[in-house]
Amino acid sequence: MSAGNMNLNGRPRVGVYICHCGINIAGKIEIAELVKFAEKLPDVTVVRDYKFMCSDPGQNIIQADIRNGLVNRVVVASCSPLMHESTFRRVSSDAGVNQFLTQMANIREHVSWVTADSQDATAKAKALIGAAVHRVVLHKPLEKKTVPVHPDVLVVGGGIAGIHAALTLAESGKKVYLVEREPSIGGHMAQFDKTFPTLDCAACILTPKMTQVRLHPNIELLSYSEVDSVDGYIGNFDVKVRRKARFVNEDKCTGCGECTVNCPVHNRIAPPEHPEVEPHLDHEVKSWLTNLLEQYKGRAREALLPLMIEVNRQYRYLPRDIIHYMAWRLDIPLSDVALQVATFYNVFSLKPRGLHTIRICMGTACFVKGSGRLLERLERELGIKTGETTSNLNFTLEAVRCIGCCALAPAIRIDGDTYAHVRQDRIPRLLRKYTVEGGVKV
Amino acid sequence: MKITTMQGLEDARAQGERSLYPARTKITVGMATCGIASGAGAVYAALIEEVKNKRLDATVTRAGCIGYCQQEPLVDVLQPGLPRITFGQMTPKKARELVVRLSEKKGLPFEDAIYRTDEDKILITGQEVRLAAERAANGYRKVTLIREHPYFKKQKRIILRNCGLIDPESIEEYIACGGYRALWKALKEMTPIRINEEIKKAGLRGRGGAGFLTGKKWELCRLEPGEPKYVICNADEGDPGAFMDRSVLESDPFSVLEGMVIGAFSIGSHQGYIYVRAEYPLAIERLRAAIDQAEEYGTLGKNILGSSFTFNVRVVEGAGAFVCGEETGLIASIEGSLGEPRQRPPYPAQKGLWGCPTNINNVKTWASVAPIIFRGGSWFVATGTEGNPGTTVFSLVGKVRNNGLAEVPLGIRLREMIFDIGGGIQDDRAFKAVQTGGPSGGCLPASLIDLPVDYERLADAGSMMGSGGMIVMDEDTCMVDIARYFLEFTSDESCGKCTPCREGTKRMLQILTRITRGKGRPGDAEYLQNLAEVIKETSLCGLGGTAPNPVLSTLRYFHDEYEAHIVDKRCPGRVCKELISYSIDPEKCPGCLACLKQCPTEAIIGEAKVAHRIIGNKCIKCGACLDVCNYNAVIVE
Ligand SMILES: Cc1cc2nc3c(=O)[nH]c(=O)nc-3n(C[C@H](O)[C@H](O)[C@H](O)COP(=O)(O)O)c2cc1C
Ligand code: SF4
Ligand code: SF4
Ligand code: FES
Repeated sequence: MSAGNMNLNGRPRVGVYICHCGINIAGKIEIAELVKFAEKLPDVTVVRDYKFMCSDPGQNIIQADIRNGLVNRVVVASCSPLMHESTFRRVSSDAGVNQFLTQMANIREHVSWVTADSQDATAKAKALIGAAVHRVVLHKPLEKKTVPVHPDVLVVGGGIAGIHAALTLAESGKKVYLVEREPSIGGHMAQFDKTFPTLDCAACILTPKMTQVRLHPNIELLSYSEVDSVDGYIGNFDVKVRRKARFVNEDKCTGCGECTVNCPVHNRIAPPEHPEVEPHLDHEVKSWLTNLLEQYKGRAREALLPLMIEVNRQYRYLPRDIIHYMAWRLDIPLSDVALQVATFYNVFSLKPRGLHTIRICMGTACFVKGSGRLLERLERELGIKTGETTSNLNFTLEAVRCIGCCALAPAIRIDGDTYAHVRQDRIPRLLRKYTVEGGVKV
Repeated sequence: MKITTMQGLEDARAQGERSLYPARTKITVGMATCGIASGAGAVYAALIEEVKNKRLDATVTRAGCIGYCQQEPLVDVLQPGLPRITFGQMTPKKARELVVRLSEKKGLPFEDAIYRTDEDKILITGQEVRLAAERAANGYRKVTLIREHPYFKKQKRIILRNCGLIDPESIEEYIACGGYRALWKALKEMTPIRINEEIKKAGLRGRGGAGFLTGKKWELCRLEPGEPKYVICNADEGDPGAFMDRSVLESDPFSVLEGMVIGAFSIGSHQGYIYVRAEYPLAIERLRAAIDQAEEYGTLGKNILGSSFTFNVRVVEGAGAFVCGEETGLIASIEGSLGEPRQRPPYPAQKGLWGCPTNINNVKTWASVAPIIFRGGSWFVATGTEGNPGTTVFSLVGKVRNNGLAEVPLGIRLREMIFDIGGGIQDDRAFKAVQTGGPSGGCLPASLIDLPVDYERLADAGSMMGSGGMIVMDEDTCMVDIARYFLEFTSDESCGKCTPCREGTKRMLQILTRITRGKGRPGDAEYLQNLAEVIKETSLCGLGGTAPNPVLSTLRYFHDEYEAHIVDKRCPGRVCKELISYSIDPEKCPGCLACLKQCPTEAIIGEAKVAHRIIGNKCIKCGACLDVCNYNAVIVE
């Protein structure tokens, strides 16, 4: 019967060993009081204190108690586990107690060094020792095992840190997967001009590394991808990476970006052509649409435009779910409704518009009278370009070709109100009229 | 309430007359979109309130737009037995004062009056309604008579006959002005063929742009076998700078409806559509109200005026696409598809809406029908010139003094339009060019100022009648920039179906942009000319076919401006940002701080009462200082 087994079978007998660490601990904490306190704790059989617990004589004290059967679990109240946890675990296992039945209470870094008042320090040390005793009773003996490890490495994030880690690991012969959410690696550093504190050129550091990543045979770059889930454990992780759609032959792509500008599904209405089941739509909205449709019995195609105009008027844009429903209801292919008709006519928008739509006339009469400069002023005041919406969703700025007030040029229409003979200096006032203090609730 | 007999029509007329010429004071506010934008709503509210406060025995009513937009808001005061006096540029304050003076019998504020009317001439019947019982009192006589007022003197109003006079939402007032007499005559006394003959005899040409003979068009559709047939009113008015169709729909919607019923009866159609562009919400509203009333009075719908003829009209809202004004594009749009034009023939008269024979005409064309039918084709031909009979409406806008709508006989000279009616150029600048025909038209130079305006002359000069936009430009306009502007428009509005138009307009725009940025290359002008001619010849529809016109006409008449941009890198119109700079004339600047406060980049330095200065490299050329300076001290060169 081994010592370990024997110890297991018996009731827990906890030995508490308090270290003075010279005057490091004893100079602040009342050791005698700690001893008295520890002796009263449940399951504690032995309490000893010593000048340097980590020294050979100190270690021998613990081993003697174990060998004498006085102790089968060890609490050492001393320095940080970073310092000596391995020392005391070895002490225990050499004497025949499973190394995991050892617990440390850090009364130096956490208490004596950092607490001003000696009484406070003593009280805190008691609490830590008490906790360690309670805990060690619950420890289970563990065995060390060797398992196979997958040596490949996954680096998440292609900023400068990720890039550097990937390169170092790859150099040391590891296969590295570098995952980056954006279409390109580089991260924040790519946006900086200089680095602190040496004021080196950021791009000069970053760019060669980015190129190395691409060329390194050990690195597989997964850009425009995101980690969906991580399963498994150290050495045997199972990671799911979702690569975002690109439908581009990466070998041939030069990254010119032309396709992103022209992509018809940019507005995220991807058409499943003819849905079998009725697309979901809020009940109230559905009955509203049904009522509108009543007027167009048997003339589905003719109903399309008026209906879209009505929806656009109601919501200030064409919400996706309504478009889906309308296409299904009128039995018109979604691509017709959404992608063709909605993008052909200027009044429709597939993106939400702001609370107020500013329509500035760019008709000939207004143009001749300087509406171009007015438009630039509006863009500057609102901080957006024509066709965009302010970030607080208050204004959308659109240019229209004539609102029929040519004799009053230049003219602007905000929602339903038309303003005549508008001069630049009137614009701030006009905007204020439509701005709610404290922003808009949406 | 349906009118089925002459007596019924007579009753409605009498009722309309009572509200047009009531036995007490009547104050009328012009409330079309332009009036409202100028503040007519507030004026109307102030009048109502003050009349109530002062317990004045008066009615306050609304009318449409008489077309003198420069003077909006306009208010008419009509007291029994006295001439009608029209006041311009009304404010709520002035309106209140007006009521106070009326209630205190102090006489009108004649100094604010712009013209007076002694009698209304009803165009359809030719009758006169005398307003002033005898010779008007002294104060009244000092106010210019409307028929002698420079803005109205040369006008002849057929299409705009009721605009600004009647309440657009009152069918009775329309009837009091001779409305539905023509329809009565057509349904009861004429055959469809006779009606068609009358229109042919009048030589009426489509007012939508191309000027095709309306009688001929009706005949094609009338003779085409196939049922049902449709008639359409094109109120898409895509021409930027033209707004007469809007004004007619907002001021006199019944005139269009009556014309459509007559046309439908002649052609044999029972369903009509009116396609109105999205930017005209008020026109749509008034049109819908008019349709409801017409149905109620039996001038639309089943058994019109007690006859066996049935005709319904639906309003279709456009959704903002210029090319939908083209007839085949418009038809496609009503059908619920993309408003892309298609190859003609077959013409709409053969295969139009839903593949059926369809007749499509412009708002002004329809509004001209009733007077022709009642008074006869030969009456119509007496106005205008040979081959170009009748009148048309121009929207006279841009840098002229009097902006507004003017209806004139065809054949009038540009000089009369711009200098007599328009009153010359604003701020005494020099006249440089006039643009007609919208994006399909061209720019005519000052040297053509005596050109008579008709379909052929304009086309020969490289422009077009179009739907009647007439945009006047002064010396501060850059003709290359204008050409660029129109190309931006057409390349944007090109539906993309045919290549010459889709790609060609883009390339022209590119070159023009380059030139206006001072990056023009030698040979660009010739290249443009070449490209323009190819596009003109090979495009599918009128949009592409006419899109090069602004370029061709400016190349033709303003070649030196192209040269100045390309060779000297100079913009004679002082418009092109890259080629100009702003400064302040220290002689003229009294140091009022106005511009300094407006400058977004703090490019202007100076203090009160000391002439200001612009720091060149800070200036972003936004023009804010130019806009606010009251002393003409900001120099652009
Ligand atoms: C690009 C383009 C735009 C047009 N836009 C209009 C318009 O806005 N209004 C209009 O009445 N006609 C417009 N037209 C002319 C129509 O095609 C058609 O000729 C006209 O409506 C016929 O009516 P009318 O005979 O009474 O002129 C346009 C034509 C083209 C080629
Ligand atoms: S043009 Fe604009 S930026 Fe230049 S000085 Fe005038 S206000 Fe300032
Ligand atoms: S607004 Fe004109 S006059 Fe006044 S300070 Fe500016 S430049 Fe001088
Ligand atoms: S050109 Fe601006 S309203 Fe017509």
